[in-house]
Amino acid sequence: MRVKLAEMMAYRSHFILSVLLLIVGDLVVPLVTLLVYRSGASFPGWTLHEALLVQAVFVLAKGIAFPFFFGMVGTTLSQVREGTFDLLLLRPRPVMFMSMLSGFDPDDFGRLVSGSVLFAFAMQGIVIPGGAAWVQFSLLFIASIAILFSMSLFLSGILFRWVGSSRVFDIFDAVSGFGMYPGTIFSKALQNVFTYILPIGLIAFVPASALLGREGWGSLWTLASAAALVLLGIVYWNRMLKNYTSAGG
Amino acid sequence: MNKQWAIIRAIGFVTYKEWAAFRSHMLASLFVGPVLFLVQVFIWQAMFVGKETINGLTFEQMLTYYGVVTLIHYITFDFADWNLQMLVRSGKFVTFALRPLPHWVFALAQKLGHRTLALGFEVLPVLLLFVLLFQVQLVPVAPGWAVVSILLSFLMSFMINYCVGLTAFWLVRAEGVRRVFLLLKDVSAGVFLPLSFFPEVVQKILFFLPFQFITYLPTRVFIGDYELAGIRLSIAEAVGLQALAVAVTAALMLLMYRAALKRFTGVGV
Repeated sequence: MRVKLAEMMAYRSHFILSVLLLIVGDLVVPLVTLLVYRSGASFPGWTLHEALLVQAVFVLAKGIAFPFFFGMVGTTLSQVREGTFDLLLLRPRPVMFMSMLSGFDPDDFGRLVSGSVLFAFAMQGIVIPGGAAWVQFSLLFIASIAILFSMSLFLSGILFRWVGSSRVFDIFDAVSGFGMYPGTIFSKALQNVFTYILPIGLIAFVPASALLGREGWGSLWTLASAAALVLLGIVYWNRMLKNYTSAGG
Repeated sequence: MNKQWAIIRAIGFVTYKEWAAFRSHMLASLFVGPVLFLVQVFIWQAMFVGKETINGLTFEQMLTYYGVVTLIHYITFDFADWNLQMLVRSGKFVTFALRPLPHWVFALAQKLGHRTLALGFEVLPVLLLFVLLFQVQLVPVAPGWAVVSILLSFLMSFMINYCVGLTAFWLVRAEGVRRVFLLLKDVSAGVFLPLSFFPEVVQKILFFLPFQFITYLPTRVFIGDYELAGIRLSIAEAVGLQALAVAVTAALMLLMYRAALKRFTGVGV
């Protein structure tokens, strides 16, 4: 991590611009929401601040998951293509752990800034929740980070077979788009898919709803669901690793 | 002239064949495009509850807007900026500096080949999915003007990206600048939201920036009605304005290209 930071500091202007980009980039969807609400439209049953809270939670979760876990998607992509993934296999530590470390990306901490600003703004427009809601939110937030971690495992795992395809990022952006809005705008069938099969809704919608007092303690089952998904991700990643053919084929 | 055209065709054909080997890369758009569109369908379905129009657009027009934006994105998609910056940073640009053909012509020919392949693997299948699955109205009001406008958008997108790529001749590592610029470009071009949703003052600024000519203007030409910052233009006037903007941007790109070549230093050059 220290080496990574030193590497970043060698190109300070690039580092600052990258952080700035992430901050601005994460605020695009909330800006769109703001402009749409300004035009008089709204998500039924959701005020502007409540809708922004969902997006703030999503950005905050990315602010933690991306620097630590998602970098491995990018490094797996390039290292498998170049054949340099071999170097990770030779190190005396678990390959997944080394892959995660080599993908550590301090730029992505910028998302925490945009997430915090957005979160503070959203909280100004809603009733301050009680202690129980905060506890519930904190637990669900851990689950949301775990879900993002498992997604990084699935995405980087697929790159052992689908060599060099940067489209995995597009696929993540497309699918995660569903998680940035109140789940109630989707059809019942899709709501079920995003809760039980592809738990995109658990990343931001469920934790934000807990903070708004709209979720009971029953929603904590998502912790078990997230843990199961992480386990599945680890198994999947290790199985896909066996498909790595190295530079020599 | 014929020789130049033959060179452009040859480069385009080689690029076509090269990228045809990575078909799955493009085929991912068959999943990504419709999924992103589906998100928009649900968002606007919810927004239009109890409303006939939002900002002058009906629900059907809104879906057409996002459908056309997606298709224009696939038709005009460009990575000349990334490619040029990579060539400059790695020193590989030296091989182009020695060729009897300006690099921008080479890059444009590559884009022609790449996007020709995309017509079959991205644009047409996604268009069919939008029409058959989502029943989006994707017939332009004035087909001739829409085609001209999309072609101009193709050139505009290339030239703006190429100018961004040229910054690599002045900056040591231009990746950050490139990414910031491209994000602002997408916001200002109306990719995320029609520009008519922005405050009046911002709309006035956006009217004079070149980005609206990549996405917003061709999309409105497709729908058959152009308005920005309170300025209403007929389709012919809008396309005329777009052609003028393309000409100005071309001149700017050529000036930057000449200045960049004067700065370039490489092994043996």
